[in-house]
Amino acid sequence: MTYVVSAFRRTVAATAFVILAVAAGRGAGPRFYPDDPIQVDRDAQFDASAAKPIEGSNGYDFAENTFLNPGDRREIPAVNVNTMDEVPDSSWFTNRIGRRAMAIDEIVRGPNSMDTVAVDDWPVVRDKTSGITPGYRVTDPSGRLYQIKFDPPGNPEMASGAEVIGAAIYHALGYNVVEGYVVDIDPARIVIAPDATTVDMSGRRRPMRRSDIDRLLSRAAKLPNGKYRATASRFADGIPLGYFKYYGTRPDDPNDIHPHEHRRELRGSRVFAAWLNHDDSRGLNSLDMLEGPAGARHVRHYMFDFGSIMGSGSVFAQVPRAGNEYILEWTPALKTLVTFGLFVRPWILVDYPEVAPSVGRFESEFFDPAEWRPEYPNPAFDLMRPDDAFWAARLVAKFSDEALKAIVTKARYTDPAASDYITRTLIARRDKVLRTWLTGVNPIVEPQLSAAGVLTFENAAVNAGIATAPTGYVLTWSRFDNATDAAVGPSEEQRVTGPRADAPPAILKGSNYVSVTIQTTHAGFPGWNAPAVVYFRQGAAGWQPVGISRK
Amino acid sequence: MRLRAALVAACVLTAAVAAFAQEPATRAEELARQREEKSRELTPPSPGALERALLMLENGRLFERILNPPEGFYPKIGNITAGGGFAMGPAYRKPLFGERTAFSALAIGSVKRYWLVDARLTSQDLAGGRLFADVHGRLFEYPLEDFFGLGPDSRREDDVIYGFRSSEVGAAAGVRPVPWFVVGAKLDHLTPSVGPGGSEGRSIRQVFFPSAVPGLDLQPDFLRYEFSADVNLREPMGNPRRGGQYKIAYQWFDDRDLGRYNFRRVDLDLQQYLPILRDRRVIALRAFVSTADADAGQDVPFYYQRTLGGPDDLRGFRQFRFRDKNILLLQAEYRWEIFTAVDGAIFYDAGRVAPRFEDLGFDDLESDYGIGFRFGTRNGVFLRVEGAFGSSGGKHFILRFGHVF
Repeated sequence: MTYVVSAFRRTVAATAFVILAVAAGRGAGPRFYPDDPIQVDRDAQFDASAAKPIEGSNGYDFAENTFLNPGDRREIPAVNVNTMDEVPDSSWFTNRIGRRAMAIDEIVRGPNSMDTVAVDDWPVVRDKTSGITPGYRVTDPSGRLYQIKFDPPGNPEMASGAEVIGAAIYHALGYNVVEGYVVDIDPARIVIAPDATTVDMSGRRRPMRRSDIDRLLSRAAKLPNGKYRATASRFADGIPLGYFKYYGTRPDDPNDIHPHEHRRELRGSRVFAAWLNHDDSRGLNSLDMLEGPAGARHVRHYMFDFGSIMGSGSVFAQVPRAGNEYILEWTPALKTLVTFGLFVRPWILVDYPEVAPSVGRFESEFFDPAEWRPEYPNPAFDLMRPDDAFWAARLVAKFSDEALKAIVTKARYTDPAASDYITRTLIARRDKVLRTWLTGVNPIVEPQLSAAGVLTFENAAVNAGIATAPTGYVLTWSRFDNATDAAVGPSEEQRVTGPRADAPPAILKGSNYVSVTIQTTHAGFPGWNAPAVVYFRQGAAGWQPVGISRK
Repeated sequence: MRLRAALVAACVLTAAVAAFAQEPATRAEELARQREEKSRELTPPSPGALERALLMLENGRLFERILNPPEGFYPKIGNITAGGGFAMGPAYRKPLFGERTAFSALAIGSVKRYWLVDARLTSQDLAGGRLFADVHGRLFEYPLEDFFGLGPDSRREDDVIYGFRSSEVGAAAGVRPVPWFVVGAKLDHLTPSVGPGGSEGRSIRQVFFPSAVPGLDLQPDFLRYEFSADVNLREPMGNPRRGGQYKIAYQWFDDRDLGRYNFRRVDLDLQQYLPILRDRRVIALRAFVSTADADAGQDVPFYYQRTLGGPDDLRGFRQFRFRDKNILLLQAEYRWEIFTAVDGAIFYDAGRVAPRFEDLGFDDLESDYGIGFRFGTRNGVFLRVEGAFGSSGGKHFILRFGHVF
């Protein structure tokens, strides 16, 4: 019996060993799947009809992000990038300026489907339910809903200008953004729908009255012609689901599997927020919409509300602290406390040129991209790594001076000096962003290996004009075993002075995958010596770049 | 048994192979599997208790609805008068005539048995905001008012209390030609009455003779006429960082019963705010002068004389520590922003009272200094915590709603 039992156990143990051995091999999986690098993450596959609206509390959002450090704080690479370290298209992001050349007209048009809208006589159907900017909601003749937001009295054209500039840039970058138009509203042609309602200060919803509109207009900038300038933002299609947080996933959305704090496009949005001084870049300024037919619905994620970017604080010129310090930041606060104010935060001394009220407070000289901060901590921003920032900076580099000048015209600033100053400031801040974040990793991009075995690549920092050409590159070629994710066989090293080399025939011959490790030699950027490993796969069409990893 | 073992192994291996056969073949499949797995575990979003509570507060505007609603009943919480203690009671507000006029009423009592009933009809927004008017009536009783005697040489050990009860019925109106300038006029009928006060201390009559304290024996009814002008260039208004406010008021008290207490009073209140470092630091200065005088044979009753001492003026002294017909108050503060919602402040107060205006001067000023913190926004200071030192009145801890000036 003892034997029998022993034999049984041996048989099962041997079986288990075989399984484990196979499992271990399978557990690692191939480094690259046949469809890598994916260009599209099909995150609308599963029906999300069960998703419920999420309401956001300003107080809780501030407290949670200021005191609790929410989210997974492991410093890991972004989890939603493809093997080429790019963000695939998804319900979050659609590669636009980063993947193809966009005409300036297309960039300027942004998300808008029309050149302009005229909202006079469109019935006001209800009040504006969130935010501090005065406004209300109207419907167009087809029943589409728009939100109207007015400029503050002391800064005409400021918030509406910021709104359309921000929308155009974020749209070109790749984010989902709602349509927005600068409009002039004739107060005599504001019509209140019979069933329009508003919430009064006692918290009760009641029929809207003309006095509600008048009270609201008293907090809005009046133009010399008696009209009021505003932004008309068209509501997105679908069912509103509230906002997304910059950490975790929606528990009711089957397609939302990547923790938001580890999403490349959310981490990298810190770069864009710094560039544009979008200090209000927080979860509550996002929007989830449930789209699609019943039974096949999915969530689309929007960036929302750009009225508080650049020099605009929405209802006043941006405060000097914005972008320089969180609302509550202990170290400078304690220094100021114990020194009775003799410790002076450097940003207090910044001079903001008095250009025009429509500019607000916006500048580029003191701006330090790496030190820039939103209103309060943002988990995805906190976890941004150099490779995330590099990805984002490459997108910023795509905005030419001409494109930025054209985008600013969309704001229709009355004072040409305002347009000129904002354009110059955006350009100057863009260049600082590029110098900071396009140089933080070995900036090898666009690797290609021709059928003849010629390797070419580019240097993103050199392309952007913020660095001189490196003095050389060290290339280390290897065959690559995709199944075991390891280099195999002998390596071969080359030293070249430019971004071009002939691959060693012995490495290429008979290989399905090869890797080349590229180290860049540049006296000004010693960090570029960190290896960037590029992987190529042999296919019917020749060698295809299939992966890149930066150390 | 071997057969059994072999069968088990075969089953396990078959299952394992089947499982591995399901390994994804593509990246898209790998991601789809993760989503499929999540689709089996969906749960609705569930905010925590704190988030739910804050949402309820914000969406329901509970603070506004409870503490300061535009309409209806609400609990009134605060102070009735300086030194009256924490008070609360029911209040009511009703907009009238298209919200340009409001009726309001309240009845509140304090832990120190102070009470106040007040009703008024107010129009703040006449003629496009250029005119305002109100009619009002109030009845109140302050049972524990401190009194130390009159004049600059009053003694702390003479601390006594008295009760003060009065009604005020009147009307006010004013012109606001520009938002920063107001001229107003006011007329009130007053019925003051002085009593012995509560049992918490010595009564005023135990220490002071009526002959030394005008108005202690008899209290006539009065008509009070007031004319005022106010230039307010403070920025921002609620928690100023620059600009100034300059107010002057002239009052005439008409003794309707005895003909002994007719008097005039002029109050001049000057405030200036000097910004430093882009408004992040502020030197705040205040000078307040009040002078009352009466014709021969007339006098100013003690209960209408101005006082110094307490959390709003000479902070190192007890409430109403000094009292006379003329007072001078000088206050200086250095305020520095610690972070967005908190300011620090170092302050110095000096002042004196005098029976004659010409006795007011910069000699023999009572003074104190201190340090404090202010919690609030650009719209106003919500809470003030201060420690006042350096006076002959000892150390004082101050916890106060609202700004000092």
